Amino acid sequence: MTRVRVTAPQSAGRRPAGLLPGRDAAVDSDVGRLYVRSLIRSQLRLAIVVAAGFLLVLAACGLMVALVPDLAVLRLLGIPLNWLLLGAGLYPVIGLAAWLYNRSAARNEARYRELVDER
Amino acid sequence: MNPPVGLAAFLAVVLATAVIGFYGLRISRTTGDFYVASRTVPPWWNASAIGGEYLSAASFLGVAGLILLSGTDALWFPVGYTAGYLMLLLFVAAPLRRSGAYTIPDFTEARLESTAVRRVTSLVVVAVGWLYIVPQLHGAGLTIRISTGLPSWVGALAVVLVVYLTVAAGGMRSITFVQAFQYWLKLTALAVPVVFVLLHQGGGAAVPAPESVNPTGLPAAGPYQTVSLLLALLFGTLGLPHVLVRFYTNPDGRSARRTTLIVLGLLSVFYLFPTAAGLLGRMYAPGLARDGRSDALVLLLPGELVGGPAGDALSALVVAGAFAAFLSTTSGLVVSLAGVISQDLLGGSVRGFRIGALLAAVVPLAFALATDSLGLAGSVGLVFAFTASTICPVLLLGIWWRGLSDAGAIAGMLTGAVLCGGAMVAGTLLGGASAPAWLAQPAAWTVPAAFTVMVLVSRATKQRIPGTVTRVMTRLHVPERPLASGR
Repeated sequence: MTRVRVTAPQSAGRRPAGLLPGRDAAVDSDVGRLYVRSLIRSQLRLAIVVAAGFLLVLAACGLMVALVPDLAVLRLLGIPLNWLLLGAGLYPVIGLAAWLYNRSAARNEARYRELVDER
Repeated sequence: MNPPVGLAAFLAVVLATAVIGFYGLRISRTTGDFYVASRTVPPWWNASAIGGEYLSAASFLGVAGLILLSGTDALWFPVGYTAGYLMLLLFVAAPLRRSGAYTIPDFTEARLESTAVRRVTSLVVVAVGWLYIVPQLHGAGLTIRISTGLPSWVGALAVVLVVYLTVAAGGMRSITFVQAFQYWLKLTALAVPVVFVLLHQGGGAAVPAPESVNPTGLPAAGPYQTVSLLLALLFGTLGLPHVLVRFYTNPDGRSARRTTLIVLGLLSVFYLFPTAAGLLGRMYAPGLARDGRSDALVLLLPGELVGGPAGDALSALVVAGAFAAFLSTTSGLVVSLAGVISQDLLGGSVRGFRIGALLAAVVPLAFALATDSLGLAGSVGLVFAFTASTICPVLLLGIWWRGLSDAGAIAGMLTGAVLCGGAMVAGTLLGGASAPAWLAQPAAWTVPAAFTVMVLVSRATKQRIPGTVTRVMTRLHVPERPLASGR
């Protein structure tokens, strides 16, 4: 077997190969550009809504632990409730937020795809 | 701890890493393999690898140690480390994968059509990587000292050597397998001892209250510190260079999102165990905090609470997991730094990659040997603050805002780097724990400052917004066509 020398993709202006142009003909028309803009806007809105919802839950947990001292006294299976809440209770919330986001983001993309293909 | 047992555990991990790395070497063929594993790694492998790479010394040793020291205040660390991936999923994962770039500097250069932006991003990425490797090497030094009695530098040097050899030999393909293996090793290495200790202690009648014990008498963290810490952890993760480069190994944007969801599950399961270890330490071994050995809590817990041959076996398992943590995070960082250094300075050849890897590993080694650890979770938290103030704004605005200009990106990154870096230096000079809160946790003001400068300068230099912005934004956000499409 012969050894082959391999090198990184090189191109004029040191731009990584394959990055441009856009993969769709979408940007070639005004309507196409409009669809792309509205896709980006809906994905951003979705991301912000999920992030804000999660941060609200986080803030509520923080306030509860800080303002309700009884949480440190009450116990479940020998573990104080404030430890359970912060140490284990937030992870399912994170997972749920991520799952909901994935579903909705994929739906936004499918809707965009339908619009473009109808044209 | 029994020194031969510790040494054997360490050697076993090194050997396993080398064997898997070598196996990977045989299928690394092209430059594409070398850099990003040709983007053909299945989601479960990839998610395990991301988890393996992410769970560093701070997660494996630091979190439990900090919980032992400061109780519920420290529980925000694992939550923040995990939720950082949620933010990455929401704002970065799919678009970044679709950008088609290899590294963060590749991305910023293509998005903003500017080699100056590329250079500044590269500098920041290298700084972040070096800062992040140092605590890994401190952790390695601590572990080798506690487990074998050898001097600390042996651990740091061993980690750098093993990492350099695997990275230079196999590139990222082998790293992916090594990292995936190391996630499961780390999980086992914490879960088995923690469950064993729990069962062992569970028979006892009286359960001491974790809050009644305050081993160090440290004051509780104020709301400012908690908020600032969470800001750093939530928005620092999405700028970590070794985390980003992993996303390029997904075949498309959708699978990048699916992978991230699996990663979140893996991290959530993992962090239950350092949390439990910290709680156990607070209840049954608070003495470890008093003599400054808190970061070694998970290493010492089996010996303190179980003892005998069973304690030795569990300790060996923890030592193996700890080294898996140092090796995996360090090699992930070295790979991504080597990619950046070689593409920018050395022409992007495989030989350049190897020289880049050497530079990426040796500089933090020198720094780690010259300094002492100030608490692993804390120093890694500061690195997150630094990425949140530099790389995070340029990624978020670059992906979501058409108005970003090259001048704005550079000004914002430099502002964040100078403010956050300055706060880190000033805080260290003022002596770690006694530094005022706004210096010890700078993210709450440095992150908004970096964003503000980036937006204002971009607004003022509108004529510098690249003409390609529409095409690039389309590429980032439009879903790929399925490969086997019938249309």
